[in-house]
Amino acid sequence: MSPRHAVRSLLLNLAAIVLIIFVVGPFLWVAIASLQAENDLLHRPPSVIQHPTLDNYNYVFTGKIPSSYEVKGQLRSRITQEARMIAPALGNSFIVALSVLVINVLLGTPAAYTFSRLRFRARGAAYNFILGSRLMPAMAVAIPYYVIVQALGLLDTRISLVLVDCALTLPFTIWFLTLYINNVPRDMEEAGMVDGCTIPQALVRIVAPMMLPGLVATAAFAFMTSYNEFLFARFLTQSLRSQTGPVVIASIAGNPDASYSLISVCMTLGLIPPLILAIALRKRLTEGLSTSVTFR
Amino acid sequence: MPETRTRWYPYVTILPALLLIGLFTLYPVAVAIQDSFYQYVLTKPRSHPFIGLRNFREVIGSYYFLNSLSITGMFTVASVAGVFLFGLTVASLLNTKIKLAAVLKVIILLPWAIPSVVAGLLWKWILNGDFGILNGILFSLKLIPGYIPFLSDPVLARVSLVLAQVWKEGSLAAIFFLAGLQLIPSELYEAARMDGCRTWRMFRAITFPLLRPIALVVLVYETMTSILTFDLIYVLTGGGPADSTSLISWFAYAEIFKSLNLGHGIALSIIIALLTLALILAYLRILRTEDSR
Amino acid sequence: MKIRQGLFWKVFLVVFLVLGTAVVSTAAADVNMSFVVWSYGLETVQDNIQKFQAMNPGVTIALKDYSWLDYHDTIVGRFAAGNFPDLMYGSDHWLQEWASAGWLVPLDKYFPQVKQYSPELAPYALQGMSYNGEIYGMSYYADTLDFIYNAKQLQAAGFTAGPRTLDELFKMASALKSKGVVQYPIILAWSQKEGAFPEAFLSLVFAQQKGGNAMFDSSMEPVFNRPNSAAAQVLEWVRKAYSAGLIDPVSLSTAEIDQIKSMQAGAHTFTIAPQYNMAELNRPKSGDFAGQFKIALMPGVSHATVGYVRFYAMTSAVPKKGKDYLDAAWKFFEYFAGKTNGQYTVVKRWAVENGLGFAQLPLFNDPDVRSAFGKWGDITTIAEQAKLARAKEGLTPWYGTWDIFMRAEVQKVILGQESAAAALSAMASKWNELKAQQ
Repeated sequence: MSPRHAVRSLLLNLAAIVLIIFVVGPFLWVAIASLQAENDLLHRPPSVIQHPTLDNYNYVFTGKIPSSYEVKGQLRSRITQEARMIAPALGNSFIVALSVLVINVLLGTPAAYTFSRLRFRARGAAYNFILGSRLMPAMAVAIPYYVIVQALGLLDTRISLVLVDCALTLPFTIWFLTLYINNVPRDMEEAGMVDGCTIPQALVRIVAPMMLPGLVATAAFAFMTSYNEFLFARFLTQSLRSQTGPVVIASIAGNPDASYSLISVCMTLGLIPPLILAIALRKRLTEGLSTSVTFR
Repeated sequence: MPETRTRWYPYVTILPALLLIGLFTLYPVAVAIQDSFYQYVLTKPRSHPFIGLRNFREVIGSYYFLNSLSITGMFTVASVAGVFLFGLTVASLLNTKIKLAAVLKVIILLPWAIPSVVAGLLWKWILNGDFGILNGILFSLKLIPGYIPFLSDPVLARVSLVLAQVWKEGSLAAIFFLAGLQLIPSELYEAARMDGCRTWRMFRAITFPLLRPIALVVLVYETMTSILTFDLIYVLTGGGPADSTSLISWFAYAEIFKSLNLGHGIALSIIIALLTLALILAYLRILRTEDSR
Repeated sequence: MKIRQGLFWKVFLVVFLVLGTAVVSTAAADVNMSFVVWSYGLETVQDNIQKFQAMNPGVTIALKDYSWLDYHDTIVGRFAAGNFPDLMYGSDHWLQEWASAGWLVPLDKYFPQVKQYSPELAPYALQGMSYNGEIYGMSYYADTLDFIYNAKQLQAAGFTAGPRTLDELFKMASALKSKGVVQYPIILAWSQKEGAFPEAFLSLVFAQQKGGNAMFDSSMEPVFNRPNSAAAQVLEWVRKAYSAGLIDPVSLSTAEIDQIKSMQAGAHTFTIAPQYNMAELNRPKSGDFAGQFKIALMPGVSHATVGYVRFYAMTSAVPKKGKDYLDAAWKFFEYFAGKTNGQYTVVKRWAVENGLGFAQLPLFNDPDVRSAFGKWGDITTIAEQAKLARAKEGLTPWYGTWDIFMRAEVQKVILGQESAAAALSAMASKWNELKAQQ
């Protein structure tokens, strides 16, 4: 390798290392902190090598109070039962996000196909309406959202979150898929229709397989957005029946009875499901996004 | 163009989505707009006179409006620029053949995967001036003489806010840019290199122009996100210190939840929505003129 | 009036749903009440609920908690959307807001017997629970903002007792800093978001003033902006101490939980915090300096301080549900904040187990309380400080709005962006503006 190449390679690697540290640093910290006792974390600087312990994880899953904490009932403890809610809350998050994913694909795809391929009256108006629905800041509409959900009798249910999250994600899904379908070549469908395919059949049998990467991308986006949604999740839920991960984590983080180690445990656990999804889908993601944004 | 077999097919396919979106848009926005023309203060439940545009006038003339708009403007410019640069850098690196690119490709998705509330809490802890890990590391490495109060100094607090925003949003930009970069034929670069082009010139002449459409999409999305930033401020700084990080959406929140003045809060939200819309239309206009070239 | 109709339908819907469920539940002769709290000692709260339910079969309490930092905003959101809880925690600085909005209802209107408890309450507590001459709550916890110091660190700098005046505090802090005992001797929980920021600031102002009306006069006109007022002196002093590096800059973004953890880790020597934190600070093995923390009377001229009260309150939803609910509510109040078999059972439990202060004066003489407090604090000083405590001034329905403005102004002074006089003047103008709008 020529010297100039070597230098260039070194610089690039350095830049990559800096970026990797910046991106992954906070996650590493949270994971490490979840294994410490809080007193160690409060030192200046925090001491992380001295006494690692799995006690906090144990508590969340089995309820066994770490030995380093005082017996409950005697003055403020560093442990709170709220932390044990993280597992069911994550379960709720997962179910809601999955449902939002499915609905986005099922409702968004036909709509996107229609916007992309077909010409009809009110097409422009409907399209712009859908895109413009996301402009209003959330807090202005939080109370009306509440009234709607309550009128439907869906307070403190996962269904309410699914509905709201779909309303939040469908606009982007439809916009994105429309652009994507614009790039899928039409000859196959046209051939199919000449042979007698109806539009729905064409959509399912011919177009959908060709747009798989795009579908996967929107599925991932819908899942992530729903999984991460916090404002409405907190406002519309009241109990573990429907509370999601972010709500519980945020609540624990503000709980004076929760040590920083316990908070870290909950944050770390909350990272796992989306992490798995992100890693599994990373290849599809770039494939899907690339085609739609470069063309009109 | 395939024939429309049945007249109603298009409407049927878009109806479910339209209904769902409409349910959560039409009624809330209609109520919001209506409420903005009335006095609606929760501590005075019996008084609801119609006051026309007075809520809007009071909000625009309030002590926080101009100051907070300028802070929001600064923040938006800084974070959009930061996200832009971050995304472009990461995408360029991922486009090279170095081995670390594979690692970067996996982890770049991680910040996208956590709620902004949790991201805010995490950064708040990391930047903590008493026992934050960043201070801990810098101090142990003897890079700083004492702990830095990142979130208690007006300038540093704003920088921290931008930092957290770039960290959170940068992944999305990086992915967009990576997609764009991969569509540029490598032959263009080969040819330029054989002509003796240096890296920077190649970037300016080849990469940048071809990335422009994506750059504009990133600009639009990130500008919207920045103006509407709320979760991050709420958790990281609460608007402080001394209102130095009170972005405009923070005051929309404060009007409703601290002052209990729904009329003001909704009027302010409408103003924000209109400003955002104006910006987006401006971007799109630029995009269209670019297109027609 | 379209808005009235809209509101009417919302209220109708709420009442309809509520009555609907009430019909179903009264058919079963069971009372189910919701109880909203902020997250503190939840296990103890749950246990108290269990005991209450055992004593009152047919009544169930459904507990819901929110983080203290979000409590006010979350509750406002709930009320605004029509999602009223039945029973809840309240605080004196929100009472005016929530009572004028019609969300909380006066207890003495439905339970005249509540007045029997009034003579045994500390005056600042009773004042904090009253609005328009009516009593809106029964207290389970009342406390004072106390001046806490790390005696061991102070000794290392050569001092044996806490500071009596602000000047002394400045001298001691300077000595601690120059001798290298701590980098920043003083920490305060004065984050723009922190609930107790105004209370801590006011406690210094009260201590600096002899007598009442430190901030407002009897017709709620501002007096803090007069030249050389107590508030002006305190602001100048804080500004001076901050510039001299005696107050940790971090204070402007610190909230109570981190403040206490920081003290526990020995990072600072002096702080102002609610008294109940002494139990945590001096809990054995809680930190390097456990057992070394002491209270001094608030440094200043009069050593007065702010006393605040937290209480159980009843929302307007309960009377609408009928007599069964009202009866159950009174039983709740009596068990959780009143006397059972002649003892303030629950209040005493909080005092003995968690070191929480209390509004019920007889408890100061209770042997169990005295012995428990003796473990982590000096009950004589605590009682003395409580005698000098006064309720916050300026509690009005618009206090919340003024509060967010005032905090930013105080922080601007500390950061040197504004002079104390200018800030106080701006705060007075804002107050007058809000007052005129009522």
